[in-house]
Amino acid sequence: MSMLETYFAQLEEGLKKKLERKTTARRKFIYEISRIGGKMFDDNLSSAWTTVFVPFEILNAMGVAGNFIEFVGAMMAGAGIGRQYLEKAEAAGYSTDSCAYHRTIVGAALEGIMPEPDLLIGASCPCDGGIKVLKRIGEIYKKDVFVINTPYEYTPESLDYLVNQFKAMIDFIKERTGRDIDFDLLRQSIRNNNKAREYLVEALELCKNVPSPASSNDWKNFIMFVLLAGSEPAIEVARIYRDEFKEKVGKGLAGLADEKYRLLWIQNRIQFKNNLINILESKFGANVVIDELNYIYWEPMDEEGDPLRALAIRQITHPIIGNIDRRLDVLAMLGREYKCHGAINPAHWGCRQSGGARYMFKEALREVDVPVIHLDVDCVDERNFSEGQIITRLEAFMEML
Amino acid sequence: MVSKKNPAEPKEKTLTGMSRMGWFCSYTPLEIIHAALLFPVRITGHSDPIIKADSFMHPNMCQYVRSCLDTALAGGYDHLEGAVFVNSCDAMRRLHDAWRKYISPGFTFIMDLPKGRSDADYGYFRNELLKLKNALEKHFSIEITEGAIKQAINVMGESRSLYHKLSDLQKENPPLITGKELMQLASLYFTVGPYTWNKTAEALFKQKNDAKPTAVNRPRILLSGSPIHNPDIIGFIEECGMDVVYEDMCTGSRFFDMIVENTADTLLDLSRAYLDKSPCSRMLMIKERTKNIVDLANEFGAHGIIHHSLKFCDTYLYDVPQLKRHLTESGLKVLLVEGDCTLGSFGQLKTRIEAFAEVLND
Repeated sequence: MSMLETYFAQLEEGLKKKLERKTTARRKFIYEISRIGGKMFDDNLSSAWTTVFVPFEILNAMGVAGNFIEFVGAMMAGAGIGRQYLEKAEAAGYSTDSCAYHRTIVGAALEGIMPEPDLLIGASCPCDGGIKVLKRIGEIYKKDVFVINTPYEYTPESLDYLVNQFKAMIDFIKERTGRDIDFDLLRQSIRNNNKAREYLVEALELCKNVPSPASSNDWKNFIMFVLLAGSEPAIEVARIYRDEFKEKVGKGLAGLADEKYRLLWIQNRIQFKNNLINILESKFGANVVIDELNYIYWEPMDEEGDPLRALAIRQITHPIIGNIDRRLDVLAMLGREYKCHGAINPAHWGCRQSGGARYMFKEALREVDVPVIHLDVDCVDERNFSEGQIITRLEAFMEML
Repeated sequence: MVSKKNPAEPKEKTLTGMSRMGWFCSYTPLEIIHAALLFPVRITGHSDPIIKADSFMHPNMCQYVRSCLDTALAGGYDHLEGAVFVNSCDAMRRLHDAWRKYISPGFTFIMDLPKGRSDADYGYFRNELLKLKNALEKHFSIEITEGAIKQAINVMGESRSLYHKLSDLQKENPPLITGKELMQLASLYFTVGPYTWNKTAEALFKQKNDAKPTAVNRPRILLSGSPIHNPDIIGFIEECGMDVVYEDMCTGSRFFDMIVENTADTLLDLSRAYLDKSPCSRMLMIKERTKNIVDLANEFGAHGIIHHSLKFCDTYLYDVPQLKRHLTESGLKVLLVEGDCTLGSFGQLKTRIEAFAEVLND
């Protein structure tokens, strides 16, 4: 059994035992995600490495276990094993100015610890780096990469264009794995998405309460939920989040005892172990009540029409795609509706799509009286992380609030 | 790049009273801008330290994008009626956002650019061209006729042929035109009209074609990679003891490396031409890109490749390991350099470039 397979198996086993003792939303979520990780090694399924915004529902409906590469990069950083793969990638010529999520995964692929994927499927958004590194991984395994060009804006023509690309993607998968798509399963996944959405919208709405029923880490890295999209476990995870927070709000229980400050987190969390959240919570009573990437931006999906079209609409309307305006609107709305006192933007070193917008983030949130602190960090590469300096800056920010 | 003190001001006007339209990426369909009777001016940023733009963008964005914004914030592009962007990379998307918000409004448009060559890609990009045409017509209250687009295609086609005629002079040993001279000519295209440029290029061709330089055996190199706007950088490499016999950059040959068909659907012709041209790194076609470089190196008798990556440019940086492997496998000697596209950054690489020349001499 490979190191990675062992890791997911142990994670799944450990969480299963914990869930038997007590079910919490967070445990259930991580448990299901660890099972997804384990599916990479399931011989009954084909496997795909992907970027983050691809329609996982289509992969599931074709018997393909998909995993987005940043998920593995984050997981390795969290487990404290990313450094050697970063160094491997750098030795192979990958610049330290590139995204460390991507460097970790390419280093791991070069090191041979990744299971060889049957397929590689990536989208042009949210960033250039994701699709580029998928191409490099494809070269390591001598496999073609299917590229989805996510259109810049939502128009009837661009929607058709994306739907046609999904059809071509289905052909690509069929050709390489011999697996056909089960459209009934795909339609079921659309219905499942809507059900899970209902619960998630409600659960997130409950977090607008003061104090929030969630603590800073309850929703950490919830973007990984995309890996469950359209599945029964997704509904279950979402329902448990809703139930847990509903119960807490009903009983007047807070996620963070003595919540004094409410914070908005922009883009990704810092993945390796660090004390920032602990210090924010314990020293300042500051609670991250909403993460930008957890916002459910998509409307209920059309259950009667073409499922590919429904998936394309969800993909093309993501606020991170296209111009910055919708993303700024979302940030301002979250800051206002979640009654945030401040926002934290960990300006991930290798991220251009966010780095180029940092002033715009500040400006948009200033309009709703939410000050922003930019932390110059690398969310995955801990080698240059100066925790003391970052904490000093955070402390100054909290005192200002 | 031009000095910040002298932003991209056209050196001459071919038609009086023409409004100027800024553009950045070589996938911008200049034919449509010309057909709108607008004067396209390439926005090249500057080579100086960034003054204002770092307040708006993280310093880990490339010098090109930050310096374009920096110049614009200082009013350096106030003479333009607007700017046409291409969704070519993350940094350019953010530049477009910043431009809309912090630079004087005018006309601002961004075109999407697919990374592919399927019929669906050609059709999609054709629609992007149509959107640009419609937006220009609406903003300037004009009509862009089919005839005007075809005329622009023709005159630009002549320019492209002329450029290749001049470029072919570099196949001679010694080259009949230096890399710096050719890059100066290419840069001129971005500041004067094509009719004027064609006359200049024709005259230069006659002059250079008749030249009889003394044979000196210097290493011949092909320069590839991120855009370099300043011809002095090519001159600097040549001063290090090599002849730059071809450059594979969107500020030079890749801008001119395009053939537009002439069918009933002119916009589709343009769409195909732009998507089919020699791909830059963002198009994800590394095999084709590498093959082009190797074929051109052989055709032009290059002994080695200098590949330049712009610092913080993901599209080029992520290609470097694979590109180096492919090029080395082809038997070519390769020098990889990273910088910010300024003469200063190349100056710091002088020792490495000179050492590379010595290796090639051996």
